[in-house]
Amino acid sequence: MTFFIWDIIKPTLEIIILWIVYYRILVFFEGTRAFQVLKGITYLLIVFLVSQILGFDTLNWLLTKFFAISIIALMIIFQQELRQGLARLGQQHLFSFGLEESEIVAIIEEVTMSVYKLSRQKIGCLIAIEREIKLQTYIESGVGLDAKITAELIQSIFTPTTPLHDGGIITRGDRIAAASCLFPLSDNPNFSKIIGTRHRAALGITEQTDAVVVMVSEETGEISVASDGRFIPIVNRERLVNILKSLLVIQPNKKAAKPTESAKQ
Amino acid sequence: MSLKEFVKEKITHNIGLKIIALGLAVITWIYVSGELINR
Repeated sequence: MTFFIWDIIKPTLEIIILWIVYYRILVFFEGTRAFQVLKGITYLLIVFLVSQILGFDTLNWLLTKFFAISIIALMIIFQQELRQGLARLGQQHLFSFGLEESEIVAIIEEVTMSVYKLSRQKIGCLIAIEREIKLQTYIESGVGLDAKITAELIQSIFTPTTPLHDGGIITRGDRIAAASCLFPLSDNPNFSKIIGTRHRAALGITEQTDAVVVMVSEETGEISVASDGRFIPIVNRERLVNILKSLLVIQPNKKAAKPTESAKQ
Repeated sequence: MSLKEFVKEKITHNIGLKIIALGLAVITWIYVSGELINR
């Protein structure tokens, strides 16, 4: 009887352990460029398994050889990620969970307050708010902070004489994960010559991820929100709050606020 | 947040990735078990 129970528990435990390992790998790579490589490998693995089941010997042989060689290639491709992953092992919670609506609204208030103060002083700023896709790659390009989001802290970071004012900040949950982060620049030809580097960076990160970016132009003090590779014009404080709420609170997976084509010239 | 909401949040967060990971885990286990039995 004991053996019978163990025969059921053993495979269940094995599958649960495998599940955790796979899930952590997927979460770790989610939102990075390496995730695309991982997706490609997963497709190849599925083809390999199907070829095994159906007995396609030639395909099977080719894929077996390919996987044998590709282990070294993968270690080179994922060198950085592997190093970071091993270093971080055991530091993360298995299943993280989102914030409550009231907490998100409080964050929006802090961000809104800070950008309006910075706008009045014509101090440029770039704030990327992480959503579903992890911005880990960009967080690691900056200086790690892990500090609670407050309007005062955001203003301090972007004050021109401070060491962290260059680049953008990235928020994760209710924390500022990092400051002075480098964002990818948009190479959208529609924006050439019209916009500056800060605008280009705001668009770049929203083209590659689902992040929402709030920024202030240094030249004009104008506030803009970027999402899905487009700018959403901000006419007043209320509109900014509403747009951020619609993007972050209601249907976080969908773009509730329709970006306009106004900046797309 | 009640316990029910907490558990629901924990289960539904990143549900897509969790399902993919579970699928991969089951496939791996079946494949490896089959290989081991063949030996």
